[in-house]
Amino acid sequence: MRRTYEEINKKIKKGDAVVLTAEEVIDVVERDGIEKATKEVDIVTTGTFGAMCSSGAFINFGHSEPPIKMAKVWLNDVPAYTGIAAVDAYIGATELREDGDMSYGGAHVIEDLIARKPVRLRATAYGTDCYPRKEIDTYISLSTVNQAYMYNPRNAYQNYGVATNSSEKTLFTYMGKLLPKYGNATYSSAGQLSPLLNDPHLRTVGIGTRIFLGGAQGYVAWEGTQYKTSPPERNGVPTGSARNLAVVGDLREMSPEFIRALVFNKYGTTLGVGIGVPIPILDEEMMKCVSIKDSEIFAPVLDYSVQSRDRQAIREVSYSELRSGGIEVGGKKVRTSSLSSYSKARLIAETLKKSVQEGRFLLTEPVARLPEERTMNLLDLHSREEVA
Amino acid sequence: MTVKKFLLTFTPENVSEPVTYRLVKEFDIMINILRAEVDEKGGRLMIAMEGSGLQIDRAVKFLESSGVNVQELKEFVRKDDKRCTDCGMCVSICPVSAFQVEKGTWKVTFLNERCIACGMCVDACPPGAIRLRAQV
Repeated sequence: MRRTYEEINKKIKKGDAVVLTAEEVIDVVERDGIEKATKEVDIVTTGTFGAMCSSGAFINFGHSEPPIKMAKVWLNDVPAYTGIAAVDAYIGATELREDGDMSYGGAHVIEDLIARKPVRLRATAYGTDCYPRKEIDTYISLSTVNQAYMYNPRNAYQNYGVATNSSEKTLFTYMGKLLPKYGNATYSSAGQLSPLLNDPHLRTVGIGTRIFLGGAQGYVAWEGTQYKTSPPERNGVPTGSARNLAVVGDLREMSPEFIRALVFNKYGTTLGVGIGVPIPILDEEMMKCVSIKDSEIFAPVLDYSVQSRDRQAIREVSYSELRSGGIEVGGKKVRTSSLSSYSKARLIAETLKKSVQEGRFLLTEPVARLPEERTMNLLDLHSREEVA
Repeated sequence: MTVKKFLLTFTPENVSEPVTYRLVKEFDIMINILRAEVDEKGGRLMIAMEGSGLQIDRAVKFLESSGVNVQELKEFVRKDDKRCTDCGMCVSICPVSAFQVEKGTWKVTFLNERCIACGMCVDACPPGAIRLRAQV
């Protein structure tokens, strides 16, 4: 049994496509088997909503009168990068105000823009013959700027480590508040609903793939930063952070329901991003991939009190164990918290399913595939000669 | 038996009175001290009292007659359900499991009656959905 993208899109346009979420399909495969399920189901939708630090937005403000070539830019006092053309800037999610306040950052600017709130723009410049203006202080909103689109260099990680803390003191990390002496453990994957765990070798997700991004129809732009294929697999999926996506989409089509500023105390700000990817059931192999369930997906438990890039896994746990509320670490029952929202992941998969069923979302064949093999380089100290 | 939480405020004059001892001994109240601090302005004691409604009423009258300011804490923290993303970070932080993930919907709910007003959840909530309602 084989299906092409063209056949699937024809069915979507006619309103005949059979769509299930990655959660719903598990029971169908268990009941009917892979062969029958493949014949019946055309598309499976996935979803995730979690903290994704490597996120931000490009804004082109439009030209002022007289024009300015912005050299420094602040949005609600949060610096934005403007070392590109005159009125282009990139506001990164983790950028903080310069006064040390960690409660408002780039992520909040992005959320405020999407919520259609006014944002104060300040910029300074050195002035040129073509751009004489040296400063500007004004208000912008999503409707006044010329363009605003999200470009996130690393989102939708395929699996991620579980964080815990063996030390005597509370740790404040990007994995949340970690209580002393294995007081808790936090994890951050939608597991069986997570996009890239449902197509582990990215057969159908590649450059140009149309996705759900923060409520908008966005696209996969590239491999994400720190994309790697090296983590060992168990049940056909990697047991740790592996592949991820660089994604792009129009801020004007996004919703605060699916883009949310987050603060990790004493760490900083980050962006809660909602992503959904439709997986075409091209054949039985794809159906096998999307039928993966939490009990088959494993993640390493890492001790964040080890301040090193080489943390050894204490053990591996499955997502069904993590979701049960507690795992065992060193003979102790440790309570677990999810950092990604499973209820929002499910909402995204269901919203995407509805869009496909109603013919508003067509599937795309990747323009190019993402790397099939990739390891990650590390930053070590070198002399000029060593790197030449 | 009911459990009620109170914030007791002492003046520098009555801060050395052993009121919790008398609440236990004379009013047969089960006391759980949630928080206590003393400074130059006097002292603040947050306690949970367990007993019959009548016992607790009598205990409160005794405290007030001793010059202690008594404020019942009905709600220490509030979760803004619109701001909450239902991630579940608070669930493993709360020492008394006042936050729970509802099986089936995966929504996070807050059980106010379990809250012991420690405040540990407030700075742990990534979207900032949990706010203090009373200050100690």
